[in-house]
Amino acid sequence: MHEKKQIHTEKGLTMANVLVITEHMKGEFQDISFEMLGQARKLAAGGSCSAIVYGSMKDHSSELGAADRVLSLGGSDDFNPEAYFSAALQVIQSESPDLVLVGSTSMGMDLAPVLGVSLDLPVISYCSGIENSGDSFEFKSQLYGGKMEVNSTAPKAVAMVLAGSFSADEGKSGGSASVEEVSADFGAGRVKFKELIEPEAADVDITQSDILVAVGRGIGNKDDIEVVQELAENLKADLACSRPIVDAGWLPKSCQVGKSGLKVNPKVYIALGISGAPEHLEGMKSSSTIIAINTDKNAPIFDVAHYGMTEDLFDICEELENSLS
Amino acid sequence: MKIAVLLKQVPDLAEELEVDDSGKALDTEYIKFRLNEYDEHALEEAVSLKEAGQASEVAAIALDGEEVDKALFTAMAKGADKAIKIIGAEAEGSRAVASLFAEAVGTEYDLIMTGVQSVDDREGMMGPMLSSMLKVPCVSVVTRVEGGDSSITVHKEYFGGLMSAFDVQMPAVLGIQAARQTPRYAPVSKVRQIQESASIEEISLNGVSDTVKSEVTSMAPPTKTGGAKMLGSVDELVELLKEKGVA
Amino acid sequence: MLSTTEQIAFVLLVLVCGGLAFQGFQRIYLIVSQGEPSYRTDNFPSRLIKALIEVGLQKPLFKSRPIVSLFHSFIFFGFSFYLLVNINDLLEAYIEGWTTIGSSNPMALGFNLFSDLFSVLVLIGIIYFLIRRFIGKPRVFEFNKNVKLQNKVSEGGIRKDSLIVGIFIILHVGSRWLGSAFHLAEREVAEWSMPTASLVAPLFLGWSGLETGIHVTWWLAMGLIVLFIPYFPYSKHIHIFLAPLNLAFANREANGKLMEPADSSKPGASTLDELPWKQVFDSYACIMCTRCHEVCPAHESGSPLSPSALEINKRYFINQNSSDLASGKLKLDLLQEAISSDAVWSCTTCMACVEVCPVGNEPMQDILQIRRKLVFDAKMPDELSDALRSLDEQGNSFGESSRKRTRWTRDLDFPIKDASKEKVEYLWYVGDFASFNQNCIEKTRKVAEVLTAVGVDFGILMKDEKSAGNDARRVGEEGLFDALAEDNIQTLENCDFQHILTTDPHTYNTLRNEYPSKGGVYSVKHYSTLLMELILSGRIKITKPLKLKATYHDPCYLGRYNGIFDAPREVMRQCGVELLEMSRNRTNSFCCGAGGGQVWKKEHEDMKQRPSENRIEEALLTGANYFTVACPKDMSMYSDAVKTSGNENNMAVRDLVDYVAEAMELEKMTNEKTYEAVKESSIVEKDASELQV
Repeated sequence: MHEKKQIHTEKGLTMANVLVITEHMKGEFQDISFEMLGQARKLAAGGSCSAIVYGSMKDHSSELGAADRVLSLGGSDDFNPEAYFSAALQVIQSESPDLVLVGSTSMGMDLAPVLGVSLDLPVISYCSGIENSGDSFEFKSQLYGGKMEVNSTAPKAVAMVLAGSFSADEGKSGGSASVEEVSADFGAGRVKFKELIEPEAADVDITQSDILVAVGRGIGNKDDIEVVQELAENLKADLACSRPIVDAGWLPKSCQVGKSGLKVNPKVYIALGISGAPEHLEGMKSSSTIIAINTDKNAPIFDVAHYGMTEDLFDICEELENSLS
Repeated sequence: MKIAVLLKQVPDLAEELEVDDSGKALDTEYIKFRLNEYDEHALEEAVSLKEAGQASEVAAIALDGEEVDKALFTAMAKGADKAIKIIGAEAEGSRAVASLFAEAVGTEYDLIMTGVQSVDDREGMMGPMLSSMLKVPCVSVVTRVEGGDSSITVHKEYFGGLMSAFDVQMPAVLGIQAARQTPRYAPVSKVRQIQESASIEEISLNGVSDTVKSEVTSMAPPTKTGGAKMLGSVDELVELLKEKGVA
Repeated sequence: MLSTTEQIAFVLLVLVCGGLAFQGFQRIYLIVSQGEPSYRTDNFPSRLIKALIEVGLQKPLFKSRPIVSLFHSFIFFGFSFYLLVNINDLLEAYIEGWTTIGSSNPMALGFNLFSDLFSVLVLIGIIYFLIRRFIGKPRVFEFNKNVKLQNKVSEGGIRKDSLIVGIFIILHVGSRWLGSAFHLAEREVAEWSMPTASLVAPLFLGWSGLETGIHVTWWLAMGLIVLFIPYFPYSKHIHIFLAPLNLAFANREANGKLMEPADSSKPGASTLDELPWKQVFDSYACIMCTRCHEVCPAHESGSPLSPSALEINKRYFINQNSSDLASGKLKLDLLQEAISSDAVWSCTTCMACVEVCPVGNEPMQDILQIRRKLVFDAKMPDELSDALRSLDEQGNSFGESSRKRTRWTRDLDFPIKDASKEKVEYLWYVGDFASFNQNCIEKTRKVAEVLTAVGVDFGILMKDEKSAGNDARRVGEEGLFDALAEDNIQTLENCDFQHILTTDPHTYNTLRNEYPSKGGVYSVKHYSTLLMELILSGRIKITKPLKLKATYHDPCYLGRYNGIFDAPREVMRQCGVELLEMSRNRTNSFCCGAGGGQVWKKEHEDMKQRPSENRIEEALLTGANYFTVACPKDMSMYSDAVKTSGNENNMAVRDLVDYVAEAMELEKMTNEKTYEAVKESSIVEKDASELQV
C-alpha cells in the first residue's frame, strides 16, 4: 500500500496519481488551488492529476485547467470541517492517489492531518517545494518560523502546501477537465455551520494599496507606531503590520498582512522590524519591490526582499523624515 | 464541561538555531525551550471559560520533557485545576505525540483544546490528528469559544478578519489560534507557591507503535535565494524610493 | 486673672474637648495599628532625638521651596515658642497676680521679647501662606486632570482646611498679641521687651473696654486652642505632632533596600490595613504641600500619578470613615479610593517624592506594595508581562537568547576573561542594557578597552550572567527577583573575585543593598568610582584635557539612592571638562523616566512631554553642549530624547567613559603590548557555542 506503482515515462520520471483538494471562498477558487494544481500536473509526470471540488464550485471546473479530472462531491458551499473531510475521505479511499495536496491554510488544517491519519499516510506540513524523484516524492518544509528548511521523502503522502510556493498561472492553463459527479457521505453532522462573519469595514483596503509601510515586532511598543505612521503619511503610503502587532491590539486586523491576514500586492513594500516568518511572507512576497529594515542580518525577510538594511528602524525612520522634508 | 489542555514545549525561537551532527535534526543541547505560543492561548481560553462559569474543570496535560514541570506548575498558577505529565514514553514528531495524547486523554474530557500548530509540527497539526484517532470532530484556527451543555459554538478564522461560526457537538478537539485575551502572566511567586502546595499527576504509557512516517533527509538554514541588495546609507534608500516613484 | 466662673468654664471646656479629641486620637492609633509590621521603632529614643533636631533646624523643609520654607520657619519657631506662651497664659488665668509684664527678671524679659516678636512673625507667615494659596494659586497645588481624587478633595477640601487653620492661627496668635497690647494699655507703661505690642498699646489708652478686652482675647487665644484640639485628627494641621514622629520612623537602612513581604504567599497590599503601618501613618503626617508631585517625573509629564494625591486621598477617606475603619467594619480599598492602577504603573521608582517630603512620607512604598499585589493577581500591563517572561526564560528583558549576551565583545581586539572560570580582581557585572541595547553597546566596549589598556584585571560572567533583578523587584515581581537572585548568587559562588564592578546603577543598587539578605555579600563598585581611582592614582594618565562644557545628570539609583555624586564629577574634572550644573542636581536630580519598569511599557496616552525631554531642556539652559550620563538606561533615554526634542545640533550625549577615553588618548595608545600580556596570562577556554555567539 505504501509503494508507488512504478510506471516509467519517456523522461525517466515515474508516473503518479496526484489529487488536489481545492479551496474556495464566496464562489471563487482561492489561488492556492491553482498553485497546487500546476505543481500537481508536473508531479503526476504523465499520470493522473485530479481535483476535488465542493458544492456549486463544479460550475467553475473549467478554470481548473491543469486537472485531468474534476471530482465534484456536491454538498454545501459553506466549509464544514467534518463534512468536507468525510466526503473527501470516501473519494480518496476509492481513488487511492499517491499524493494528496491540500493548502497549508485554515481550511487545510482541518482536512490534511485528519486525512493523513484516516488514510494511514504521512502528513508533510509547510511544504514550499515538492519533487517527484522516481520511487518517491521529495518535500521541502519550512520549520521553526522559517529558520530551518527540512527535506524529507515519502513514497505516498498528504502534503500541506504553503501559499505562494508555486505558480498559479500554471494551474489555470491546460486542457479542459472532465467533471465527474461523485456521491459522497458528508458525515455524522456533529459540526454545523452557523454563519459567515465578515470583518469590520476598514478605512483602508491595503490589498489595493500601491505603497505599504509595514511594522513588525521590532517596533517594541505601541507609541512608536506613531513614528512609522508619520513616515507612511510622508510617503503617501498605507500602514500595514504582521500578526503580533494585531494580536497586541496596536493596529486593527485590517492592517494585518499574512496567512491569517490579507494578501497584498503593492508596488513597494517597506518592512520595518519584521523577521519574515513564512506566515507573513505568504501575504506579501509577490510585491514588486520589497525593502526590508531589520537589525538581525539573518532574518528570513532578507531572502524575499529586493533591498535591505541592517539598521535600527527608528534611526532609518528619523533619517528618512529628515531627508524627505 | 471538563476541558483538557494539551501542552508542548518547543525550542525558543529567540535562540540561534543550529543543526546537529546528523545533519537532520536541531541541535538542542544549548537552546532553551518554552511553551508553544498557541498552547498558551489554548490554556488561556480554557481558563477563561472556567472563569465565565462555562467549564467545571481544566486539566493541563503534557509529555515529559525539557522544563515541562515548570510549564505544568505555571498552568496551575494560571488557573488549571490539575496537571498531568505523561512519562515513560518517547514520542518524536507531532503524530507520535498525538498518539500518546490520544491514549492519555481517553474519553474523560468533553473538550480538548490545544494550540492550532507549533513551530516543529512537520508531521501535521497535532490537534486534528488527535481528533481523528479519538474519532471526534475537530475545528482548527479557533479564536473564540462559547460553552454550552452538550455542544459549543466556535469561531474559525480564515484570513483578513473573515470567519465562520460553527456549533460543535462534544466531545471535540479545538485547535486554538488566539484566546479571547492575551495569555495572562503567571507570577513567579505564585508558581513557586504551587510548586510547594500542589503536585503533578503522572501517567505512565508505553510509547507508540510504528507510526506512519516520512523520512527526513536533511535539515539546514534556508539557502539565501539571491537575497536582498543591502543598501549602505539612507541616501541610497531615498534614491531608491524616488526611483520607484515613492518619495 | 480669670473669674472663678471663667476658671470652671475653662476646665469644663478642656474636659469636653479633651474627651472628643481622645476619641479622634484613639482612632488614629487603632487605624495605624491595623497596618502590617514596619520595623521602624528600634532605638526609638535616638531616632526621636535625631528627628527633633532635624525639625528644630527645619532641615527637611529647606530641601525645596526655600522662600516658602523661610516663612514656615517663622510659624514653626513661633508656634513652638507658643507652648511656653500658653503655659504662661494658663498660669496668668489661674494664679492671682501672675504676669511677666513689668518684671525685671531676665527670663521674663526674654520671654516677653520672644512672644512679642514671634507673634508678629507667625502672623506674617500665616498671612503669606493664605495669600499664596488663595490669591497666588500656585500651579503646583493643582493635580493633573487625570489624577484620581476623593470627592471632598476636588470640592476644595484642602482649601477649606487651610482656611480653618489659617483663621484659627490668626485669631489665636492675633488675639494673644492684641491682649498683650491691652495689658500694656491697662498698665499705662511702655515695655521695651514687647516692642510691637508697645507700638499698638497707645491706641487703647483709656479705653473703658480694656478689662473686657483682656478677658475676650484670653478666651479667644486659649479657648480656640482647646476647641481646635478635637479638630486635629481631621486636619493636616496634626502634622505639628505627627511629623516629628514620622521623621523618627524614617528608614535607617539603605534607600535601595526594599522590605521583604511579610507573607510571601500573600505579598503586597490592596487595602490600607495591608500596608505596613508606617505607610498608614504617612497619611496622617501628610501636610498636603504637593512638593512630592512637583518633583515626580510621572506627574510632571502629564501622567495620572500624583504621590501627593495618594496620601491626601487616604487621609480624606480615613477622615470620613474613621469610626468604621477603626472598628474594622470597613476597609479602605486603595485602587478604588486612593490611586488609579494607571497611576500605580506610571511610577519610575526614582524616590524623588520620598527624598523631598518634609514630613518623612514615602508614597513610593505604597505604590510598590500595591504593585506586588497586582502582579501576584496577574493584573498588569501586557508589555510588562512580556518583559518579565523574558527575564524568567532567558535572564534578560530583551527577549534575546542568553547566549547572545556576550555579542558585544565580538568586535574587540582582545579577549575578555571568563570570570566564571578564572580568578579576577574585578568581576564586571555588565547588565542587560549595557549588553543588549544598541545605544549602549559602544560604551560598554569602550569601558572594556579603557580597562584593558591600563591593565585592570577583570572578567565577565559570559552567558551565565542574568539580570540582577532590580527592576523586576520594583515592578512588584518578588518571586522573579528571588529566582534571579538565587541563580546569580549561585553563579557568583563559584567565582573567585575581589570586587564586583558595574556600569549600571540599578545593578549596583540591588547587588549592594539587597543581595546580602539573599545570601550574597559582595564589595560592589560603580565604574565611576573605579575610573576616578584609576585617574587619581595615575594608572590612567590624562594627556589631553578636553576643555568642553558639559552638564552632568545624576542617575537616580546612583545619586539619590546610593549617595554617589562626587566620583563622576571628579572624573569629569580630571578630564578637563567644565561642569555646568543643572538646577535639579544631586539629590534633586530629575529622573529620565526609565525606571520602575517604564522602559518596558508604553507611555501613558496623556503624557505631554517625556521626562527625558524636559531634562534636556533643563540642560540646554546651563549653556552646556554635552549631556553626561553614567548609566546605560540614561544613555538610551537621553540619546532618544535629544533626537525627539529636535536638539541634535545643540546637545550631544556622552558617557563618562567617552571623556576618559578621549582625554587619555586611548586610540593613540599602542595597545598590543597590553593585550599580549592579557592573552598570555589568561587561559580562556571557550565553548564551541560561545565562539559562535
